[in-house]
Amino acid sequence: MSQIPDNLPEKQVLEADGIRIVFGERQVLGSIYMQVQTGQIVGLLGRNGSGKSVLLQTIFGSRAVADASVRVNGRRVVPAFRERGLLNYLPQEPLLPPSLSLARAARLLGVDIEEATACFPELRPQFDKRIGELSGGSARLVQTLLLLHADTAFSLFDEPFSGVMPVHVETLAEEMQRLRHRKGLLITDHRYAEVLPICDVVYLLHQGRLLRLNGDVREQLRDYGYLAS
Amino acid sequence: MMILLTRFRAVLLFYRSIAPFMLGISGLILAAVLLPAIYEGRAKGIVPALLLAKLATAPVMWLLSERLRPDQYWFYFNLNISRRQLWSGVVALDGLLFLGSAWLMRAALS
Repeated sequence: MSQIPDNLPEKQVLEADGIRIVFGERQVLGSIYMQVQTGQIVGLLGRNGSGKSVLLQTIFGSRAVADASVRVNGRRVVPAFRERGLLNYLPQEPLLPPSLSLARAARLLGVDIEEATACFPELRPQFDKRIGELSGGSARLVQTLLLLHADTAFSLFDEPFSGVMPVHVETLAEEMQRLRHRKGLLITDHRYAEVLPICDVVYLLHQGRLLRLNGDVREQLRDYGYLAS
Repeated sequence: MMILLTRFRAVLLFYRSIAPFMLGISGLILAAVLLPAIYEGRAKGIVPALLLAKLATAPVMWLLSERLRPDQYWFYFNLNISRRQLWSGVVALDGLLFLGSAWLMRAALS
């Protein structure tokens, strides 16, 4: 584990509520309340189509939802992505333009690429490559690392482990734990075996409702049909 | 200053991704309308009208871009730049390039 610096940033609380989304006649999300604090890793689980990505995009502000309220320390921030230094978001889709080199993407995001990839030395020879030239797994890993190391109070990650090879998944999970002291992470990923051990709080999206799981999380995930019994 | 520079670079990057279409339309307007007008001696006062015609194609480009590449904005959102800011920058840059090209053509051929 890394040393925690003395000058810890002031604790911030990101809250989202009033999020109600209906597709056709189906209510995907109804009356959601969620909270993430800096220093926390929050896991968001749910079956396919349960609205995990929609929820993250609504919090990020790229999806406009009437009546949705996103607040930081009680102050309304909609759309949140316009607030400098507040939060970033890794979508399921490729994040970076394929023609952009890794080094240039890092510069634009204000990230020290050497530091961000310090635990992944095999990425170093690829700094000058374009994103489109990387393998799917490497591109995913790099995108996650850049956002993780970016100077924001919160990071929202939609399937950060998707396509990443197992040895890198372990290191990436350790890296997330190492950096939690300076930001809050909200992660959704079906690789629950990797996600659960690093989470302080676990939410489950179930039939349009957001449930905060306490106690034996795996047993509850089985009860709600997310895991096979 | 750093923020402005990053935004300018981001707009340039976004413009690069749609430049073939936008510059193609500019080239078409300049070659099909301005060039004959210069040779026929009726180019005076035509440039503002051509600029308006050029700007009128921007919503079509926006619509096509939204349909063909709906996921292209994520990186820019992560740089705190909205769709509106991105497209405003692109339209301004493209308009300036168009005006510059028209001025150069008139200066060289009149």
